Amino acid sequence: MVTTVEKSVPVVQLAGVCKTFRDFWRRPRVPAVVDLTLEVHPGEVFGLLGPNGSGKSTTIKMLLGLLYPSKGRIAIFGRAPSDVAIKNRIGFLPEESYLYRFLDARETLDYFGRLFRLPPLVRRKRTDMLLEMVGLKHEARRPIGEYSKGMARRIGLAQALINDPEFLILDEPTSGLDPLGTRQIKDLIRELGRHGKTILLSSHMLADVEDVCDRVTILYGGRQRAAGHLAELLSVRDKTQIITDQLSRQTIESIRDLVLRLEHKDVLDVSSPRTSLEEFFISIVEDARRANVATSGAAGAGALAEFLGGGKAGGAGDVIRQLESAADAAIDSAVVAPTPVRAPDEGPSRQVLEQLSRPRSEPTPASREPSSDVPAKTAAPVEADADVLRQLMSERTSPKRGSSS
Amino acid sequence: MSVASAGVLKERPRRFRSVLGALPRAFRAVINLSPLGRTNVGAVALHVVAEGVRMKIALVFLGLLAMIVLALPFSIKGDGSLTGAVQSYLSFSLSFTGFFLGVLTIFLSRSISDELVHRQSFLLFSKPLARWQYLVGKWTGMTIFNFVFLTFSFLCIYGMMHVIIRTKPPVEDSYTSGLTPTSKVDLERLAERKALIGDGTEPTQSADRLRLFTDVLTARHSTMFKVPDFTAVAEEEFEQRLREGFYDAATEPVDRAKEIERLKGKHEARWRIIPVFGQRVFEFENILCDRSPGHFIQLRYRAELYDYPPDEIFRSMWVVGDTGKGATQYVMLPRHIVGRFHTIKVPADCVAPDGTLTVLFSNVNPYADPTWFETPEPVFYNTLEITRDGVKCLFTVGSFEGNLLRLFVLMLCKLMFLAAVGVLMTSVFSYPVACLAAFVLYALAGLRSFMNESLEQFDKYDEPVTATMSAFFNAISSGDGAKASESFQTLAAELISGGLRLIFKVVPDFSYFDGVETLVNGENVSLVWVLQGVGELVVLQTACILGLSILLFYRREVSETSF
Repeated sequence: MVTTVEKSVPVVQLAGVCKTFRDFWRRPRVPAVVDLTLEVHPGEVFGLLGPNGSGKSTTIKMLLGLLYPSKGRIAIFGRAPSDVAIKNRIGFLPEESYLYRFLDARETLDYFGRLFRLPPLVRRKRTDMLLEMVGLKHEARRPIGEYSKGMARRIGLAQALINDPEFLILDEPTSGLDPLGTRQIKDLIRELGRHGKTILLSSHMLADVEDVCDRVTILYGGRQRAAGHLAELLSVRDKTQIITDQLSRQTIESIRDLVLRLEHKDVLDVSSPRTSLEEFFISIVEDARRANVATSGAAGAGALAEFLGGGKAGGAGDVIRQLESAADAAIDSAVVAPTPVRAPDEGPSRQVLEQLSRPRSEPTPASREPSSDVPAKTAAPVEADADVLRQLMSERTSPKRGSSS
Repeated sequence: MSVASAGVLKERPRRFRSVLGALPRAFRAVINLSPLGRTNVGAVALHVVAEGVRMKIALVFLGLLAMIVLALPFSIKGDGSLTGAVQSYLSFSLSFTGFFLGVLTIFLSRSISDELVHRQSFLLFSKPLARWQYLVGKWTGMTIFNFVFLTFSFLCIYGMMHVIIRTKPPVEDSYTSGLTPTSKVDLERLAERKALIGDGTEPTQSADRLRLFTDVLTARHSTMFKVPDFTAVAEEEFEQRLREGFYDAATEPVDRAKEIERLKGKHEARWRIIPVFGQRVFEFENILCDRSPGHFIQLRYRAELYDYPPDEIFRSMWVVGDTGKGATQYVMLPRHIVGRFHTIKVPADCVAPDGTLTVLFSNVNPYADPTWFETPEPVFYNTLEITRDGVKCLFTVGSFEGNLLRLFVLMLCKLMFLAAVGVLMTSVFSYPVACLAAFVLYALAGLRSFMNESLEQFDKYDEPVTATMSAFFNAISSGDGAKASESFQTLAAELISGGLRLIFKVVPDFSYFDGVETLVNGENVSLVWVLQGVGELVVLQTACILGLSILLFYRREVSETSF
């Protein structure tokens, strides 16, 4: 599969798109999408946010040609959604898995692989790799009707990737997944993003979107309410947060005095960050797996399938392994003391303060290629300059993830 | 329950499923080797097969079918004879096969509406799968499914038929043999005609067994006799009646053409009735059989007597062949059970070189003539009627196996049509409605010839609809309530019959393409007939229905209208 993307052409273009559902007598009933205009660019991880009934799924269905817009223009890779050829470049995971209950995982992937006219050998190889990747190789011959929702979801994801798509549409990808599965999906999205895939992620799980998306659009009542880079949308410009290794009470007091003296502002909150329940849960499950406790559910996820760009240094496997070791650290630290999960390697806290006092840098969009151990979102600029010392402590708007800095 | 035993219990259904799964895997292997395997149509078709063999209803139907095909030979009796048992078995098993696979085809087609309702269509149409590929793939899958199970059924039926032949003893019944005992015939009396009693060969096996091979396990071309043209007689009678003022008292003006047609029918019916000592000559044409020695033709007949003789045996005399046309003449003196079809076997040189055959039938009882037979049988004379299909000339043109193969194609054509109907219905309607509509169409196709006859009662309403409408409005405007009511009834009848006729134009006549009875009677399921089935049912009607399905499905929003 060609993974080069046409940089000049947006992957998705919606211009003034409306969709009104009609009743049996063709009378307009519900305006599901109203005058929606957006673009998704190559290599972007784009989030489509909104509460239930906001028109996210309708938009996706229109993108795939499953519904026709009542008004407006839709183009995918510059062509109409009804063009069958462009579907070769698209992978789609619907909000529920909608798989055939009587087929097993291998037959399911084989069927969908056939629809992309993949040669038998390629199909077999990719099927093996994807089953390994989603951790269901040992359950590959069980009918999907016997799968748990999470397992079916994993097969749903595997089928979306069978053609090594350039553009991946994920509708509520973490729905029905346990925290471990959720984490794996998010890691996968990041990793696919790193390999140049364009991803449209629809969700109302805000934390998921926040973790992986570069840019989002928020819909409500079928209308676009907000759009932009996450970093821009989420930055709290009148607060400053500094996270460092554990400080002594004396140092904290010194900082408080310093802030008060230089900025004439009070430090609002000083606390030790907690590890998240997600991290804790993951570490427990990983411990169980290491102890070979039997389960009929999905096994631990494998590395990103080679045909998707996995198997290289810095691939999803590395990411997952790093995250898993981070989780281990988290549980250790959670038990011993409420310290940050990631082992500090930036140097002493003073050094952090010095770094924070460097000149202000312009906010930049979230990098699509974050370092392997730091999620993209964390690259969001923290307005930090010499003044930051006067705003040393911010209110609790910062994420509590241990791996974030 | 221990974990181990629970595991064993869980393994059993898995093993069962893996056995079931072996079938689609075998299909997949076969289809992979074909060009179809590399297309999306092939992918969808394979999926239909995989689904079909795992559908519970399909398993129930196939189980029932297997039970009928495999168990029937051990319970079937027919008329008590070996021939009757084989005929009954073939008739039942082949009819059930066609019916079950037809119903199953309609159930299989529900996968389209299921995929729309259960939203697998979201996944399918997000792949590079064109709508036409999807529908054609579904149809192809159903056709492959039917092909495989029809093949399997036919092989089983053929095998089990041989089990019947091997295990069931033939019944000795001299009356059903169609052969007259030579010892009882005064050959000298018939010396002036080259009379042959029986088929000229010493039977090496029982008459019942012989009849099975000559009447059932063969493929014979059948020709109906030529009915004399009574047009001139009918016209003459009509003119005479006209002259005599026969129609003067008629309440409605007499339609000349219709009346002549009616009179023709009357004369033909009268001609079919043969009084005691009466004779009829039946002329057959285009009997293109091998006339060389050792080859035979058969005369298949059934006589309906107005009153049955006490022993229920009908005795008659047949003189076959016209020496004037260069044919050899034979005299046959059959004794047969009344009311059944019987076959008289005659050497093929009774057919004239130009392919015509002349048969003289005499309603006499030669066995009652003491000059012919030393011990004459009781005299019983009665008027009889030869029905339209009462006398046929048959000659072998092929084998039973070839016949079975052609019947297979004919049945497959019907199933292909049904599959297309299922595709159309389920791509437009949801499952229960779609199945109901498909079943109605299936029933209409099966009953079309009967329905056509029912529609004949509307033939009297042959006025154009526009004329009836104008008559109706004229009656209303003139205030003539009685005439308006009559016009309205006529208009309603015309509209109903017109609508039904329109429907019947697009619904094929399955009874016309039902070759089971033909096969069971040992008649030839001709290649022309099969080609007609392929042309009408598949090339024309199936293609049209699939085209319509694609047209309707092309712009359909496959996602439901909720969000």
